[in-house]
Amino acid sequence: MFGISAELGAQQVTVHGKVVSEAGEPVSSAIVRVAGGKGGAPTDSAGEFTLTVPDANATLVVSRIGFEQREVPLAGQQTVTVRLKPTAVTLDATVVVGYGSQKRSDVTGSVASVNPDKLRDKPTTNFAQSLEGAVPGVNVTTTGSNAEGNDVNIIIRGRNSIKASNDPLVVVDGIPYEGSITEINQADIQSIQVLKDASASAIYGSRGSNGVILITTKMGATGKPRISYNAYAGVQKIAHLPHVMTGPEFAQFKCDRINDGQNCESVFTQTELDNLNAGKSTDWVGLAMRTGVQQQHNLSLSGGTDQTKYYIAGSLLDVQGMAKNDDFKRYSLRVNLRQQYKDWLELGTNTQMSLTNRGGMPASFSDAFFMNPLTNPYNADGTLTVRPWPEDPFWDNPLQGLVVTDDDESRRVFTSNYLQAKLPFVNGLSYRVNAGIDFADRQQGRYFGRNTATGLSALGSATTTNSNRFDWTLENILRYTHSFGKHGIDVTALYSAQQNKLETQGLHSEGFPNDVLTYHQADVAQLVQPSDDYSKSTMVSQMGRLNYNYDDRYLVTVTARRDGASVFGANHKYGTFPSVALAWNASNESFWWGGKAFNTLKLRASYGKSGNQAISPYQTLSRLQEDSYLNGQQTAPGYIPSTLGTPDLKWETTTQLNVGADFGFLGDRLQGSFDFYRARTSDLLLDRAISPVHGITKITQNIGKTQNTGIELQLTSLNIDHPDFSWSTDFNIALNRNKILDLYGNGQNDILNKWFIGHPIDVNYGYLMDGIWQEGDDIANSAQPTAQPGDVRIRDLNGDGKIDPLDRTFIGSLQPDYSAGLTNTFRYKRFTLSAFLNTVQGITRSNDLLSTNLVYTEVRRNTIEHQYWTPDNPINTYPRNNEEANPLSVPFYEDASFIRLRDVTLAYDVPESFATRLGMQSLRVYFTGRNLWTHTNWTGLDPELDSQRAEPLAKVFTGGINVEF
Amino acid sequence: MSSSDLQGPRRAPLTTDRHRNEPMTRRSLTRATLLGLACLTGLGLAGCSKDFLTESPPHIIVADNLYTDSAGFEAALNGLYAQARKERYGQDNSGNDILTTPMTIGVDNGWGNYVSTPERVFDEWGTRNNSQVDAYLGLWTWLYQTINAANTIIGRAENPDIEWSEQTKNRVIAEARFMRAWCYRHLTYLWGPVPLNLTESSGETIKTDWQRAPLDSVYAQMEQDLLFAEANLPETSDDPGKVVKAVAQHYLAELYLRMNQPDKAEAEAQAVINSGLYSLITTRYGVNASQPGVPFMDQFVDGNVNRDQGNTEVLWAWQYQELVPGGGASIMRRYWVNRYYNIKGVKVAPEYGGRGIGRLAPTAWALNLYEPGDDRGSIYAIRKFYLYNDPDNLPTGKQLGDTVFLSWTAEKNSSSKWPSTRKWDWTSAIDPIGNETYGDEPYLRLAETYLLLAEAQFDEGKLADAANTLNILRARANASPITASDVTIDFILDERSRELLSEGERRYALLRTHKWLERTRLYNPIAGPNITERDTIFPIPQAVIDANIGAAMAQNPGY
Repeated sequence: MFGISAELGAQQVTVHGKVVSEAGEPVSSAIVRVAGGKGGAPTDSAGEFTLTVPDANATLVVSRIGFEQREVPLAGQQTVTVRLKPTAVTLDATVVVGYGSQKRSDVTGSVASVNPDKLRDKPTTNFAQSLEGAVPGVNVTTTGSNAEGNDVNIIIRGRNSIKASNDPLVVVDGIPYEGSITEINQADIQSIQVLKDASASAIYGSRGSNGVILITTKMGATGKPRISYNAYAGVQKIAHLPHVMTGPEFAQFKCDRINDGQNCESVFTQTELDNLNAGKSTDWVGLAMRTGVQQQHNLSLSGGTDQTKYYIAGSLLDVQGMAKNDDFKRYSLRVNLRQQYKDWLELGTNTQMSLTNRGGMPASFSDAFFMNPLTNPYNADGTLTVRPWPEDPFWDNPLQGLVVTDDDESRRVFTSNYLQAKLPFVNGLSYRVNAGIDFADRQQGRYFGRNTATGLSALGSATTTNSNRFDWTLENILRYTHSFGKHGIDVTALYSAQQNKLETQGLHSEGFPNDVLTYHQADVAQLVQPSDDYSKSTMVSQMGRLNYNYDDRYLVTVTARRDGASVFGANHKYGTFPSVALAWNASNESFWWGGKAFNTLKLRASYGKSGNQAISPYQTLSRLQEDSYLNGQQTAPGYIPSTLGTPDLKWETTTQLNVGADFGFLGDRLQGSFDFYRARTSDLLLDRAISPVHGITKITQNIGKTQNTGIELQLTSLNIDHPDFSWSTDFNIALNRNKILDLYGNGQNDILNKWFIGHPIDVNYGYLMDGIWQEGDDIANSAQPTAQPGDVRIRDLNGDGKIDPLDRTFIGSLQPDYSAGLTNTFRYKRFTLSAFLNTVQGITRSNDLLSTNLVYTEVRRNTIEHQYWTPDNPINTYPRNNEEANPLSVPFYEDASFIRLRDVTLAYDVPESFATRLGMQSLRVYFTGRNLWTHTNWTGLDPELDSQRAEPLAKVFTGGINVEF
Repeated sequence: MSSSDLQGPRRAPLTTDRHRNEPMTRRSLTRATLLGLACLTGLGLAGCSKDFLTESPPHIIVADNLYTDSAGFEAALNGLYAQARKERYGQDNSGNDILTTPMTIGVDNGWGNYVSTPERVFDEWGTRNNSQVDAYLGLWTWLYQTINAANTIIGRAENPDIEWSEQTKNRVIAEARFMRAWCYRHLTYLWGPVPLNLTESSGETIKTDWQRAPLDSVYAQMEQDLLFAEANLPETSDDPGKVVKAVAQHYLAELYLRMNQPDKAEAEAQAVINSGLYSLITTRYGVNASQPGVPFMDQFVDGNVNRDQGNTEVLWAWQYQELVPGGGASIMRRYWVNRYYNIKGVKVAPEYGGRGIGRLAPTAWALNLYEPGDDRGSIYAIRKFYLYNDPDNLPTGKQLGDTVFLSWTAEKNSSSKWPSTRKWDWTSAIDPIGNETYGDEPYLRLAETYLLLAEAQFDEGKLADAANTLNILRARANASPITASDVTIDFILDERSRELLSEGERRYALLRTHKWLERTRLYNPIAGPNITERDTIFPIPQAVIDANIGAAMAQNPGY
């Protein structure tokens, strides 16, 4: 009743308006609604609309795919023009490029932005998972799926380095970020940019060659304060698990293998027999794993005035992983603040405080996977057995983590602060100082009591570790921008210094009177072993960048950076990394013929050098290892030389050529970019095997050369664009070809390390399986005269009648032919459905679950069930069940290509009218499913995992809400 | 009693007892940081950054701060002893694949009972014996690593800035040169001619053209090193693990046998025997003296091994200690004690030696080599039966304490009822089924010096002297005396097996006397049929040949 009288009390008004882009172009198919009201109107092709509103002071809400939603208070006006800012990556957006930002249309290098939609509704613990398949040339691989979600590798444009790290540099709010990326709260991230080519990454000099990921955290916008609450909760289940043998299957397998299925009793130990006779079989994997549960809650307050902007957010993340006891908790608080103090002076801070708890030693999936099912997980009283198989005490209980005391807490403050001043007398000249501090400490304590094998043999074993990180970065940046006539210049000069310091103190103690005080009793230990580690590295850098722009048509960027780093050898402390890039905005030419059909074309080219300084502190010094002896019963400290000094050691250098184009068709309804690159990396940091006669078997040297060549294509298209229904597609594909150009300067391959000139860094190289020897084959006159029927047959490649190392060859490719991502987003009224498919094609890998000697000589481990050759089942794919069947341990290769439905998200925006009634401004509800479907011919755990015994990939089902007040 | 007494032993941290050569103190580091910051805000004063980029680790030992005074050199020597001790530990410094395997099985008196990869090579030979065998690279790398450590000491000891007495300096060099010769002894027995590396390796001069030095020149270097050690090592040491003069003399005697100079060999062996410092153990002594046993075995019991514990026979004792940094570990018991716990009704017990995996085993021939009454073949020296001790697991019809007799008629793989030597019996009170042994072990005994003496005397044609020498050994073990007419090289090798079963390096003695092929074929039915002339010398590890890209390194013939 009150509602009706309120409506009656207001004066209905008809409003006319126009919706335009920032550039003033009309925006069609935008939806214009009244905040808190019903109905709405679309804009027509001229961007115009007419809408009846209940009151002249109502607020309009204008939304459109590809643009930020905007609220416009009418304040009595009846004609309005609404300008929308683009959200998606369009050529007009501003992008962060390192030491500043640029209009995308002015960017000359290859800088990819992650579509902000990719960061939304993403219930992941690690922002890297948002990069999967989202940016061409950025390859994210998962190596496991623990609770923390840190089993992720990011490689940009292929591997440059053979031994050195290929991890990109991560920069958060301008400050290089070291350590665990899972300590960054993804909900606080506003944007992610990836610098891929030399022109873009050369400004990071000796750290740029693996690419750079720039993360910018959120900031409030001018307007009244907004409170947002975002939360999700979900469950994780093992996506795929091959059948691991049960007790009876294992018994048959063991007997077949050892005794040809005869006289089985004699092959089993008493424990195995007892279990078998009692019909007991232990599903170790089942005991070690559970359904994972994860939830996150974020509460933020943001807003601002023209002078002050702020974003304050607190969050809680709680993950219980699929392995029992695999827990991860993170609490974080972020304060981002920006204050315009005077016209000419601005200062700000972006600060995150976090508390991360990684405590709990998980049950071991891989140990459980291999554990004999005919052994005992529990004692009669229900406690865990220390050694489940008393006759083979080598095996600890895979579940022992559940009774280990394990505490692991990290506290961290990561703060990036700046002060920016316009300098007097010279118009366009400004000075900025950035000061970043990263302070983190981590406390770990672990205790193995007498209820574990480790603790039982040591009478209790305790390890405590405290580590302390203190990093600082100080940057002085001068910037000068000036336009005259059609010329624009933008000059940036940097002088910076950085120090990273990590100190670790540990204490290992053993032999305690009892287990009561866990790791808090080193004072009564029989053995106390302190340890101490220290690492400090420093850097000093100078960088200059010049951007020149003629009439928005011709763009030039020239950069150079000089880095001095303490980690380099004494003879090479400094390196210089120059680059140049050119771009031509062809569509800004007066003669441009494309019209609206082909409205944008920019051509880019860049060439430059960047480095990889992956040398750890003190690595260049001649070092000794501890090798102590005794004087009677006392320690006699001893040392022997272990590492040769390398005063000439320096950075790896990557020289990269990049040619690309950005384009837009149909008024940017279809837009995208294309890049071709060739990167050559020289002075590789290689661990060169040297003659063991030196007494040391390897030395790190700058030798060798690699090359990565590739193309990348990214397309974004708005396929259907109707007020009630829209469909957009994001597609990207990348091809990278990697090869070694040189190793030791003498054209020789390194067979020991499987490095071959002209081939990729990673290859499958070995004997080629040629089926299985069958009964009736002429084995005696073959290259394997001693083989038995059922043995692995190896191809005698050179036909010399014997199998020797000369018969090894390349098998398939470990480098994908291509990888691609496809996202389709459908919107029907208030529903949005988004599906992301990710594929990697053309990889061949050996499946280690098929290896023939996984179970050890006396069948001491379990494995997956599979078919074996027998005289009655003369298959040609897998040998007989016998240790001798594959004497050269030939691996079994499979196609590891896959297509995966990585994410599906269904979201519903609750009508404002309803939300308002609940006291909210907006309410969004969503459900996502992750890794729901995979198509692959791979028979192991998962084609993506390096090790097929790692914790398997998870299917994740999550529901979440986003509320604004 | 003070409170510190209640807290149990405290261990010293692993530092040498002297100030490390720290280029910058902590206070000056802070000052440098501040200076760095000052420079930075001042913009562009590049000169400021020179010190800022210099590395000065406060926490690790680098070459330039260790070899600066006598304490540093003592620490470097300790490293050498810790290295040598690894002969009885596993490959790649692990608790598996004991490094002695290639030296002690695949010979007349030793074979691999449970064939996992390394033992298999020395049972099956043939194609399994190739340049890719991990054990070879493991041995090679360990020996040259020790040589480089010794070379570093020998070279850097000549630095005139070190303040020490000439005597200390020469003793330090003597220990290092001894260790170097000891490593080349291993290398030449295993591979014949090998590269002779006598200088500290440097990162700036990586050699890719190593050449194998002729055996004569390696022997000449070993002789020089051992003679220097003989002249400069002390006669005795308070530190029970140190090498002394007699050890150098013993190895000189052995070297002269290899160099076909039996007169010199005899003189060196006599020097040890007649020094008045050593005598064979002939009466019961030490920690187990009141238990049934024989004098011969007392010297192997932890607590009896060192000279200051009453052992007059030991020349070089290897030191181990549980739960002490630097305490090391041996896996001799793990590798020699058999898997008797696989016999139903018998479980692991300290009196049975502790838990072993029996991968190394004496041949039936070696077990049958003892005359009745010879202490070295007695039940105190060789495990020949067990008593049922597992009440939960008795076979039907058996009682606790009933005897399980072992049999050793024919070698067959995976025989858990095969006898084993008791020399390495040891059980941890803390972890009764642990892998490692932390009891001290004799490495070199006077008994072996007698055997070298007999060998020298035989080579010189002094058969009566040789018989006398052997009789001294035999008398101690209650074996019957022999006469000059009994002395042949085969008899000396038989005696050596009786005395040193599982000790020393059996393969080396057989190679030195050119008897390996003949005797292994005769007495080792597992390996005998598989070995050929080629196998008298091992293949150079492939990694060594592959890394020598500057010059071809010849492989031994037949590989």
